[in-house]
This record gives sequence, C-alpha cells and structure tokens, in this order.
Amino acid sequence: MKKNNTYSAILRHFANSPIAGPLLTFVLVFIIFLIFVPNFASWRTISGIITAVSISGFVSMGITILMIAGEFDLSVAPMIAMSGYLFGTISTGADSVIVNTLLKMGLPVEGGNLGLAIFAALLAPSIMGSINGLLLVFTRIPSFIVTLGTRQIYRGVVWIVAGGVLFQTIETLPLYDVFNGRIDIINKLPFLKGANFRSAMFWMVGVAILFQFILVRTRFGNHIFAVGGGEGAANAQGVRVNRTKVMAYILNGLLAGMAGIISFSQFKSVRVAEQAGIELTAIAASVVGGALLTGGYGSVWGAIIGILIINMLRSGVILLKVPFISADNFPAVVGVTIIAAVIINNYLRNRSTS
Amino acid sequence: MKKKSLKFVVLSVIIMLLAACTQQATPEPAAEQPAAEQPAAEQPAVEQPAAETLDPNRELNIIAVQHAECSWDSFWCTVQAGIEQSAKDNNVNVTILAPDEFDLDKTASLIEQAVAANPDAIMLTVTDSVLFKEPIMKAINAGIPVIAYNSGNGPIVDDIPYYTYLGQDEYQGGYLGGMRLIADGGTRGVCINQQVGHAGLDKRCKGFVDALTEKGIEAEVLAITDDPAESTTIISDYYAANPTTDIFMTLGPNGANPFYVFLENEGLSGVKHGTFDLSPEINANITSGVTMFGIDQQPFLQGYGGITTLAMIVRYGILPALPVTATGPGFVDAAMLASTPDPEAAVKVIAVQHAECSWDSFWCVVQNGINTAAANMNVDVDILAPDEFDLDKTASLIEQAVAANPDAIMLTVTDSVLFKEPIMKAINAGIPVIAYNSGNGPIVDDIPYYTYLGQDEYQGGYLGGMRLIADGGTRGVCINQQVGHAGLDKRCKGFVDALTEKGIEAEVLAITDDPAESTTIISDYYAANPTTDIFMTLGPNGANPFYVFLENEGLSGVKHGTFDLSPEINANIASGVTMFGIDQQPFLQGYGGIQALNLLVRYGVVPALPVTPTGPGFVTLDNLSVVETLAGEYR
Repeated sequence: MKKNNTYSAILRHFANSPIAGPLLTFVLVFIIFLIFVPNFASWRTISGIITAVSISGFVSMGITILMIAGEFDLSVAPMIAMSGYLFGTISTGADSVIVNTLLKMGLPVEGGNLGLAIFAALLAPSIMGSINGLLLVFTRIPSFIVTLGTRQIYRGVVWIVAGGVLFQTIETLPLYDVFNGRIDIINKLPFLKGANFRSAMFWMVGVAILFQFILVRTRFGNHIFAVGGGEGAANAQGVRVNRTKVMAYILNGLLAGMAGIISFSQFKSVRVAEQAGIELTAIAASVVGGALLTGGYGSVWGAIIGILIINMLRSGVILLKVPFISADNFPAVVGVTIIAAVIINNYLRNRSTS
Repeated sequence: MKKKSLKFVVLSVIIMLLAACTQQATPEPAAEQPAAEQPAAEQPAVEQPAAETLDPNRELNIIAVQHAECSWDSFWCTVQAGIEQSAKDNNVNVTILAPDEFDLDKTASLIEQAVAANPDAIMLTVTDSVLFKEPIMKAINAGIPVIAYNSGNGPIVDDIPYYTYLGQDEYQGGYLGGMRLIADGGTRGVCINQQVGHAGLDKRCKGFVDALTEKGIEAEVLAITDDPAESTTIISDYYAANPTTDIFMTLGPNGANPFYVFLENEGLSGVKHGTFDLSPEINANITSGVTMFGIDQQPFLQGYGGITTLAMIVRYGILPALPVTATGPGFVDAAMLASTPDPEAAVKVIAVQHAECSWDSFWCVVQNGINTAAANMNVDVDILAPDEFDLDKTASLIEQAVAANPDAIMLTVTDSVLFKEPIMKAINAGIPVIAYNSGNGPIVDDIPYYTYLGQDEYQGGYLGGMRLIADGGTRGVCINQQVGHAGLDKRCKGFVDALTEKGIEAEVLAITDDPAESTTIISDYYAANPTTDIFMTLGPNGANPFYVFLENEGLSGVKHGTFDLSPEINANIASGVTMFGIDQQPFLQGYGGIQALNLLVRYGVVPALPVTPTGPGFVTLDNLSVVETLAGEYR
C-alpha cells in the first residue's frame, strides 16, 4: 500500500514537470517508429539524429532560456555564421578579411591561433546577443521586431566580415576533432554497426547539464522564470528585470557561438546564409519541448527532447518513403506533427494543473 | 549588471581553457594530421609541370580541315575570313586544308594528315559522321582537341566525342523567328516547307509552330514542291481556304520566291513574312519592308568562333558549354542590310557591372577576360562599377555609360526591373547592349538587349546527369539546398530529365541550411533508397554534407557530380570521389562579351540565341590541374 503511494507520488511529480508531455510524445513516436519504420531501428539512424541535434540543440537551449524569460531571438543564424567565420579563419590563419584585419591590428594569428579562435567565436555572438537585449530593454520594442531587424543587420555584418564569400578549409586540426570529431572507439564497437557518433554530443549534454543547473539551482535561474512569469510581479519581488533579460540574450548568443564552433568543426565550411531558418526550428523545438510562447514555463531538457522529436520525425518521414510525399516535400509532414505535439503538451499541462 | 557580465566573461574563458586543455589531452587525432595533410602537400607537385607546359599566351598552331574552299565555293570565303580574322586576333597560326573539289574520301585523308602534323588543336567539318569518325578518333586519342564547324550535328548525334559543333540552331531559328513575327500579334501562321521530311527544315517549322502555339496563335506547316508555279498555286489555295492567315515563314529562297509571286498575284500587303537565308530577292524585300528578316547561319562566326573556342580550350581549359554552339539564327533586317561591315572601325565599349575585382575577387577573372579580349581585338574598353554593392549606383553608372555614347555597352542585369529604364535609354539611342554574368536573357528580363552570356543551368543539370550515367546506374538523386530557387530547380530538372530519359529513376531531395541536418537527410534518404548510386549536388553547400555522408557510411563506388568548385570539391575531384565540378567560366563571360560586341559592331554578326551559354564548363580530373593553376586569373 505504501509502495503504491510512492509510485503515484512519483507519477504525480512527473506529470507536473514541464517535460512530461514532450517525453511522452518522444517515447511514443520513438517506439512507433522502431516498430513500423524500416531502417529506423539502426545505429546509423539513431546516431545521425543525435549528431544533427548536437548543433541545433545549442540553439534550441538558448531560445528556450529566452522563451522562459518571455522573449525570443530571430537573429541566431547570423550569430552562428559569425562564429563559424571567426573560428574557421582564425584557427587556420587562412587568407581572409578577418585574418588580414587581425594581422593589421598586430594580433598573432599568422598560421592560426586556436585560443583566439575559440574566444572570438564565443565573444562576438555574445556581444550580438547583448545588443539585442539592450535594444529590447531600452527601446521597449517587442523582441520579435528587434531581432527581426538585427537579423538583417547581422546578416549584413557577417557579409562584410566574410568578404561575401564561402569559407572552407581542407585542413584537419585536432581541435576540430575535439569539438566535433568522429569517436571511432565507440563507432567501431561490433554491436554498434553503422554508428556515427561524434564528440559534439558530449559537449551538448555537458552544456545542457550546466544550463539546467543554472536555470533550476541558481538565483539567476529563478529570476529568468520570474521575469517570464510576469514582469510586474518579478519587479515587486526585487528581480532586476532588464539585467536578467540582457543576460538571457547574452547566454543565447554564447550558445549560438558554440553551435557555430561545433558546426565548423565537423563541416570545415561556413557561409553567410549558414543555418538560415534555424531560429524557427529552434522556436518549434522549444514549444514542442514544453515551453510556452507567453514565457515563465519550459526547460532545457525539454528543448533537447523537442529538437530530438523534430529530427526524429523528419528521419521517419524520409525513411517511410510515403508514396505521395516526394523527397523534396517532407517538411510539410514535420509541420503537421509539430502542431500535434503541442496539442498533446497542452492537454497534459491542463490536466496536471486542474 | 557589470558583475554579471564579468561572470560571463570568466565563464567563457573557462570554457575556452577547458577546450584548450582537452585538446592537449587528446593526442590521438594529432597523429592523424600528417596523413590528412598529404593531399595538400602533393598539390604543388601536380601544379608544377602543368604550369610549365601551360603558357596561356604562347602562339598556337591550329589546323582547319573543311570539305570545300573559297577558291571554288564562294560561301567558304566568308568562313575562311572568319578563321583568319580570329587567328589574327587570338595570336594563332592557322593552316586551312581542303580538297580541290568536293571529295569526302580526300577530306577524310586530309584529317589524317592534320593529325600527323600534331597541331595544338583541329577544327573540321563533319560532313559525313560515319566516314570521318575514324580519322577524328585518331586526333582525339592523340590528345588533340577537336571541334566541328559548319557541318555536323554535335558530338552526341554524330557519336564522336569532339567538344562542340558550331552551326545554326534550326529549331531556335524557327522559334525565335516566329516570336519576332508575332511580336505585334497575329491571327494565324503558316510555315511553308519546300521539303517536308528533311530533318533540318522540319526543325525550323517545328520551332515556328511551337512559338505561335505558345502564344495561342494557330499555326501549321504547308508543304510545297520543287516546282515554283505549283508552289505559288498551293500557297494561293491555302490562303483562300484560310483567309485569316497573316504570319508567313519561308525556309529559304526556294520558298520565298513563290511566296513573293503569290503576294503580287493577290495584291496582298500588310502580312508578316520572315524567311531563312538571304538572296538578292530576299534582300530587296527586306529593304522594301515586305519581309521582316532573313535568318543567316552566319558563316563568318562559324570560322571566327571556331578558332576562339579552340584557343580557350588549349590555353585556359575553358570548354564549350553545349554540344551545339549556335552561330545562327542571325536575324538580318533592313538596318543590318543598310550598314556595311567595317573591320577597321575604332570600337569603344563600356562595361558596367555591379561588382569589381578590387573588392570581389570573382570579378578579377571576368575583368581579365574583358581586358584580354579588348587587347586581342583592339577594342577600347572602360569598366564601370560601384565601389560597394549598390544597385542604385550601378543603375546610375549605366546612365553615365549611355551619356558617353560608346559604340556598345555590356552590363550585368542584376535587377531587371531597376535596370530596365537605363538600359532602354541605351537601346533607344541605338547603342547595342548585351548582358553578362547576371541576367536571364532578353525574353525573361523583358528588355530587348541582344543576348545574355552566362551559365545555362538546365543544360548543366542535363549534361551533368548524362555524364554521371554514361556507364549506367540504377537510381539518381539531385540534392537541392534551396527548393524553390529558380536557378537551382532548373539544375535539378535537367538532371532528373536526363536520367528519366535513359530510364533511370531520379528525384529531388530537399536539404536545408543546416549541414548536420542535411547529412542526416541524405543518410536517411539513402537508407530508404539503398539502390541510389548517382548523386548530384548543386554547389559547395550541398557537396559538403554529402562528403560527410559518404564518410559516415563508408560508401564508395557511387557516382557524384556537383556544380561549382571549392577547395573541398577540388580535393575530391583529385581523389576520384567526385566526377566533375560544373563551372560557369567567368573568364568567358568577359571575353565572350567583348567578342560578341566586336563582331556585332565591326562585322554585323549578331548573337544567335537570347542566352549564350558560358557554362556548364566541366572540371574533371583531366583539366583540374589546369584550372587550379589558372585559378584567380582565368578560372
């Protein structure tokens, strides 16, 4: 009898957690796909989904933090591109606008400078994030408009910094493998046939743990929830709303910078339009992952589950070879399922709160 | 706030240090580095010998073999004049070999003689593709570049792998002629064919009928005979039965002649008439306004273009874009007949482009093409460009160019709406205009400039697909990073059409701007369709995730071709993973632009098609080292 009580207590606790809906959807879809979708139950597919998520996951986390604080950011794609250009050119010291400018400034980038590459690639998007935040709190313009504007501006800045050209290297630096190299020790295991796991997944899990800790266990984390729940109430409790929002934007920029580094490390290629459209995928992932557009609700793990669901759906649709959905039209199906996932989330949340 | 920002900086530094530490702590990948660097180290070794043998500006020896000659067939005097002028302009030594009477066996043996002389290149008339195949193959096997001119059907139809055939595009002659005739409307059209069943003449009529049908105007073919009196009656009877007919196309003097008699008999005027070819009678009718135009195959261009094409191949590895390079239809109208060629005229050209070498290195190659051609052909050229990307400024530079009243203008139609007004000013002032690099041709852009020099995207996909399935294949996929982008969609359509035509299943796979997602999409598609063995990507952004996919799957032995070049694509062409990269050949956009204007102003030679393709130029293992050596200057 007592055992049963604990069991229902755990269940109740789970149902109240923001990731209950997303996790349920994830498990359901995963099991259905495992059974019904040919080729889905393979390490190739599973490792492929995880690798893809290892880049967009960073962005989804950043967007989720912003959404909890009641805001969002449409300008992440150029931040990722900026990070990629800085990281790629400075790490190789390749002939480029960035390296030539830094050389003129007397910085030691000839032949490549790994430390500076990482530093610049994280700093620049963080500054871009802080500009978004400062514009928001000082002008009181909604974040949709602010970041719609900066998205275009940043794209232009990246264009200038990039010299308008694609940057690509065929150098293979060990640093790239650290951030996003194949882990062949794992992939070559006999029971993991076809696996393509890469080191980026450890970075993503590590960063997720760090940010979940910040959100749930620190005062700053509480402030983010408070700000998103209602600025007036947060103010009344002594939360410095503006500062919290700007910090959330900086964190979002930092995570976008991380995505840029991870992406370049794998593909050794970056362009001005890099990751265009990811801002919407990330918002979708956050919402599928349980966050509310109105703020004050959501979680980092939810974001990861959300982006996993979206990637899993896409793989499933392609693998199914649905006769009337051609290979250039699968995003439509993903759109339908995003809406379905949110309907499930809302249903579960309403039940648990009523 | 300051305190928090400080925390953030500290945090980022910690992450940075963390990364640096893990890097040192992981010696394994470091061991990989030298191995992976090897191809890069090899590159200069490959480039070196290529650079020595390849002096772009050395004098070339070219032999032209043709089945007839100026001394006994005056048609050929024009062709030979083109050859000689181009040889002079392009710094080429040319020898023309021809039998002293029409004799195909003798012509074939002259081809063998040409091969034995081991020239830098050979151009020839493929008058008989069966008889000439063996001697032409000897040249190709000896590594001598070969092109055909005046007579031939292109490498595919002739089944001889020479580079291209320079001659008239009969279908386009009919089609574009039809379009001209109905520019001011019309009710019913007829194509008067004196030899139904003759492939070339039937193509002309098909083009004409297609053009009219496309615009909703009824059109059909009327067969006449070799008897002019009978033919006049046939035309007259047809007109009585179809009195609304107001658009007439004839296929040469033999059709135009009875047509003029018919007009005279009926006392008919005000109908539209166009014809293929020229004759004293046709010329007189063009001058008097009865006939709108005569379509010329432009033999001068067949000779001139032949030499230029070979010089491009040998010097820069720049290959002709299509199996057939159209020298006609060249539309000859009253204004054209009134003017006389003046090869010695001083020619001043202004080029207006939206970007420039000093701030966008792509344009250095285009400008080098412009300047090289200008120096070769003794054309005075000025290049105008804004000092940053600014379309309004570019538009005002076009106005500035018009005000300077040059002999011709070439420009980039980067924005056909914005540029229309200034370009119309030039055209209305009687200044010939052509477009290069950016544009869609006069029809799509709805601006009546002569032609647009740039890549033919559809043909890139089509010919690329044909190359990939040359040895067969089971299933193809075109990986499109931006479904809905007109140019990219055309590339995929060409690819899918090529495979479908050969009975191989093919479709388009949409990928995204996220390379990791794209890799997964390709991988999933392959898992769902494991028989896929033909892959086409549309540029570095598609090729990049494709290579990761190959690496992940450990896949080899599939065929891959791509548009564009990049360090990664070049490395994969060199290692044999990728069959080809398709280049739009910017040097040719500049060089060809000046050449087209020079021929137009000095010789009255008109660009044949609305789009003059400069690409697809296939970069393969064969010419990769040439391309890399000349990168940034000619490629």
